[in-house]
Amino acid sequence: MTKSFSMRIVFLLIMGGLSLFACVQKAPPDLLQAVEELDRRLVEAEGARYAPTEFGRFAQHWVGVKGRILAEEDVIRWPWESNSLAMELRAVQAEGQHVLEAAARKKEAERQEASTRVALLERRLETFSSRIDRIGSRVVLGQRPVETELALRQARSYIEQGLFSRSSHVVQQASRLMEDQKALLHTKLGRYADERSVAYWRGLVARTINWSRTHHAVALVINKADRRLTIYRNGRPAGVFPVKLGFNGILEKRYQGDGATPEGQYRIIRKRDRGQTQFYRAFVLDYPNDEDRRRFQAARRTGAMPAETYIGGQIEIHGEDQIPMNQTLGCIMLSNRHIDKVFDLVETGTPVTIIGALEAKNSVSMALASLEDGDDDRLDGAGQPR
Amino acid sequence: MKRLRIGLLMPVMLLVAACAQPPTEKLAAAEKAVADAKAAGAQAYLAEDFTKLEGMLASAKKEITEQDAKFALLRDYGKSEQLLASVSGDAGRVTTETAKKKEEAKAAATQAQQGAQEAVKTAQGLVAKAPAGKDRAALQAIKADAEGLTASLAEIQKALDGGDYQGAQAKAKAIQDKAQSIGNEVQTAMAKMQKGKSAKKK
Repeated sequence: MTKSFSMRIVFLLIMGGLSLFACVQKAPPDLLQAVEELDRRLVEAEGARYAPTEFGRFAQHWVGVKGRILAEEDVIRWPWESNSLAMELRAVQAEGQHVLEAAARKKEAERQEASTRVALLERRLETFSSRIDRIGSRVVLGQRPVETELALRQARSYIEQGLFSRSSHVVQQASRLMEDQKALLHTKLGRYADERSVAYWRGLVARTINWSRTHHAVALVINKADRRLTIYRNGRPAGVFPVKLGFNGILEKRYQGDGATPEGQYRIIRKRDRGQTQFYRAFVLDYPNDEDRRRFQAARRTGAMPAETYIGGQIEIHGEDQIPMNQTLGCIMLSNRHIDKVFDLVETGTPVTIIGALEAKNSVSMALASLEDGDDDRLDGAGQPR
Repeated sequence: MKRLRIGLLMPVMLLVAACAQPPTEKLAAAEKAVADAKAAGAQAYLAEDFTKLEGMLASAKKEITEQDAKFALLRDYGKSEQLLASVSGDAGRVTTETAKKKEEAKAAATQAQQGAQEAVKTAQGLVAKAPAGKDRAALQAIKADAEGLTASLAEIQKALDGGDYQGAQAKAKAIQDKAQSIGNEVQTAMAKMQKGKSAKKK
């Protein structure tokens, strides 16, 4: 009896001792927390998008382990048994870490590609703008440059938000807008590169020089592409002076306020000396002449010109205003020193021929060509890196 | 004889009963939940979470396909069921959170729109006061830019009306930044002219 009682006590003591060491199989809380955190970071890193296969494996594994954690809440683990949940969690953690690194690498690569695309187009736009500024054709483009710039700013904004594909889409739009600008410049200024137009202008100049020769008189020729006034006396060049044109002077004048400088054959109808003009000294031209009127009326009839526009007038070759200006409203401006040299040589009736260019290879046609050549070769026409 | 037949049929019936069935209904439910999240705009407003949902759904489908390819007795759809349950649960949360995020984005876009409108108005005011200066072409270009910005304001509204709040916000920010840059340019030019005038008086 005593022996049996003692045996029972010993058995209970052993069991009691063992139960002190035995415990419910639990996932280590810090490890569990670490994997949960990793899962959150994977969501932020868009693991499923950037490393889909690896993420799929991780997700399967992780969901399985989570299921096990719930299912094995009351499973007893003896001291000699290893904690398989902890081991699995560690495996999930390692797997997740691998996915995170892969996703982060790919996302960064995509971010860099998007940034490069924007930066390249920004550089293209900068080069483009400087080239069109050089020939004074910025005004021709109206609101288009700001539209392109807005698209590029938007693309940058999307990159900041991590929306790389949207950024890429807007870069393509911006690229198309730039192409539109180029097309517009070719439409408006293409005549500077057109052999027939240049031949026509050359003919006008030849007639003017011939007139000067046969009439033993002075005639003026203004070349808009070169921004130069040449004075001919007896058919020979007697002086060349730099000129400034209208703020949209590279275009052919169509209506009042367009800032363009007219083209064609004119005559001086009045001379204005000091005190008679705000521009030091001036010669008034007979713009609009019959040809200008005919063209204006035709444009109105076809609806190419709004009904409320006027043909304008008061086109002069003048000196400087009190404030030195870079452009006029459409007139031709000489420096005061140069108009002094010309003033006494010309008289009422002196012919003035204004042309676009004398050679097909001129500043405007070359600038137009450079718009094509100057494209960064790392981008294609759609703004995509080659 | 009868006993023998029952004896033969029983294991066959047990085998058939033991074969696991693919979780077709759970898959359909998870797919619907993901589609609902997408329709709510999760792809745009909770992109990361939505990508995870899609990834998990794809993973579950892959697991089902893999199990389908196995011998009938060895099929186990446990993992895919767990994944699908997780997708369905998360998709509900994502749909709810998307609605919240969308509202936040709408509010932010509306605020950005107001900011852009004010900036453009200020820039227009400054451009109207801008002196001709010596560079008429530059002034014309700035005027065209300011007009372009005014015209672009309509695109913000268009994006807002179309529920593209991210687009509206990005556009508004671009317009606001450019309007401020124009304003600064005009103010600098005005200050320069003022300085020139003061210097001449001396």
